[in-house]
Amino acid sequence: MQDTTSLTIQNISKTFDTVRAVQDVSFEARPGQILGLLGPNGAGKTTTIRMIMGIMQPDTGTIGFSFATSDPVSIRERVGYLPEERGLYGDAKIHDLLVYFAELKGVDRNDAKRRASAWIDRMDLSDWATKKVEKLSKGMQQKVQFIAAILHQPDLVILDEPFSGLDPVHQDVIKAFIAELRDDGMTVLLSSHQMNRVEELCDRIFLIHRGQRVLYGNLAEIKESFGDHVVHMRFDGDGSVLSTLPGVCEFTHSEGCADFVLSQEHAPDAFVRQLPADMTIRALHIDRPPLHDIFVKTIEGRIDETA
Amino acid sequence: MKLHKVIRWEFLSHVRSKQFLIMTLLLPAIIAVAIFAITLSKGIGVSASQANANPPPPFIIGLLLGLILFIGAFMSGVMAMYAIIKEKQSRVVELMLSSVSAWDLMAGKIIGLGMAGLIQVFTWAATAYFVANRFASFPLSSLTLVHWITFPLYFILGYLLIASMFALVGAAIKDIHSGGAVGLIGFIPYLPMVLTPAIVENPDMTWLRIAGFFPPFTPGIMMLRIGATPMVSEGARFVPLWEIALSLCTLALGVFLMMRFTTKVFHVGMLMYGKSASFRELWKWGRQRTT
Repeated sequence: MQDTTSLTIQNISKTFDTVRAVQDVSFEARPGQILGLLGPNGAGKTTTIRMIMGIMQPDTGTIGFSFATSDPVSIRERVGYLPEERGLYGDAKIHDLLVYFAELKGVDRNDAKRRASAWIDRMDLSDWATKKVEKLSKGMQQKVQFIAAILHQPDLVILDEPFSGLDPVHQDVIKAFIAELRDDGMTVLLSSHQMNRVEELCDRIFLIHRGQRVLYGNLAEIKESFGDHVVHMRFDGDGSVLSTLPGVCEFTHSEGCADFVLSQEHAPDAFVRQLPADMTIRALHIDRPPLHDIFVKTIEGRIDETA
Repeated sequence: MKLHKVIRWEFLSHVRSKQFLIMTLLLPAIIAVAIFAITLSKGIGVSASQANANPPPPFIIGLLLGLILFIGAFMSGVMAMYAIIKEKQSRVVELMLSSVSAWDLMAGKIIGLGMAGLIQVFTWAATAYFVANRFASFPLSSLTLVHWITFPLYFILGYLLIASMFALVGAAIKDIHSGGAVGLIGFIPYLPMVLTPAIVENPDMTWLRIAGFFPPFTPGIMMLRIGATPMVSEGARFVPLWEIALSLCTLALGVFLMMRFTTKVFHVGMLMYGKSASFRELWKWGRQRTT
């Protein structure tokens, strides 16, 4: 399963008037995996997604799907979409609306009704099934939109900023569902500007900035290649001695607390053994740097190169 | 093609609303019952002999149908316009376009809302006919087969044309307050109404015959001409059938082209949230290749 691809994007570009929104972007998405399309606001994520969805056409390049069907009309039915711009028909009832959306994706009406009811139960919306959408809280509306994206059991689901505007409880609910979709063998394309929030979900990532590729590949491998570790410590006693340990850089330090980077030639276990014996450690956290830091460093590196 | 699903949804969700039921069934029924009760109690009414004495000339029917068309289509058109602006503002449009083509979405909206509007127009026209008959006689015996066939065709096609012209305004503008001159597009088909007396008096004028083939003016001009012609020339000369057939064809083509143009403008416009189109942009968007 790892070797098959369900979505292949080759060298797509899109220009609006004078703005080059997407430049020569290529990537693949695979079944049973989550591909993170990550980058700051305005990086070109939504434009890329709209081109995949066929809402816009790329100026150059190709977008290929390999599902069981190759009929272009049916391909639309094999893809599910949660747009960044959230919106539903406010005066429609939830159950009716979900059935309508599923029918538009080619699901048989009775089947659509059955599936809509099942998902409404799973999302704890049963009490609201016959209520109008506009009566729902924002979080609940988002759940309804999430259901609309997957009700027709697509092969590929595209989630554009699935966590924006959600409280932590709802975020966890949606996260669990996304993981479930992946486990069911769906191809998930997850777009977000909140890199640190979604990185734990992603198997592979495509980092985009100003319409261009920054980094692309397996998340674990990318993190490995950056080698550094970030360390957060809380302790009793004088912390300034930490800055003198080998490998420690970017050291910041305040009362009983220190943050620094452990450069890549120094392994975490070696570092831990060197800690002063008289220091009482309250907390110690060592990890690969968060994706956002990797992103910023890569961007800075590029700017240095061009300067 | 998922057009029928969109039509069904738009039609049903509109027809099921309380507002529609009140406006379409309850209000006309109350008016009809009230008028009936009043005329009965006061002894007002028309006897059968009076009724048959003086059937109204068909041009009155043509004029009335024209008025009903323009008022009804105006209401449906404005409704379609609002629906499209709302669709853009609520952003549900992006989800819709991931499932159906822009054409299915636009045509479905216009036709679905149009059908709901036609039901409304029909109940109101029936009520008006009933009420009018309580005070004076309006037998329909003066209408010929040609009237029965052509009037509904002009009516339905004209209805769709006007509704899609208002839909175009909805597709082009950002919100209801920022229409500018583009907002006037929907009123173009209403222009012949100003000339009603002239048309009724002289329905065979050359420029009228020519103008009758231009879709925005077709329904207004042709219904009046067809209604007025036999009355003017008692020799029972009628509007030539080929003119009727050709004008119906150009009208149908006009409806199709207008809906297609609207779809294009909608497709381009919806991807540029927060911008209203000028006439020049409208033209540019309408010709842009989108798929």
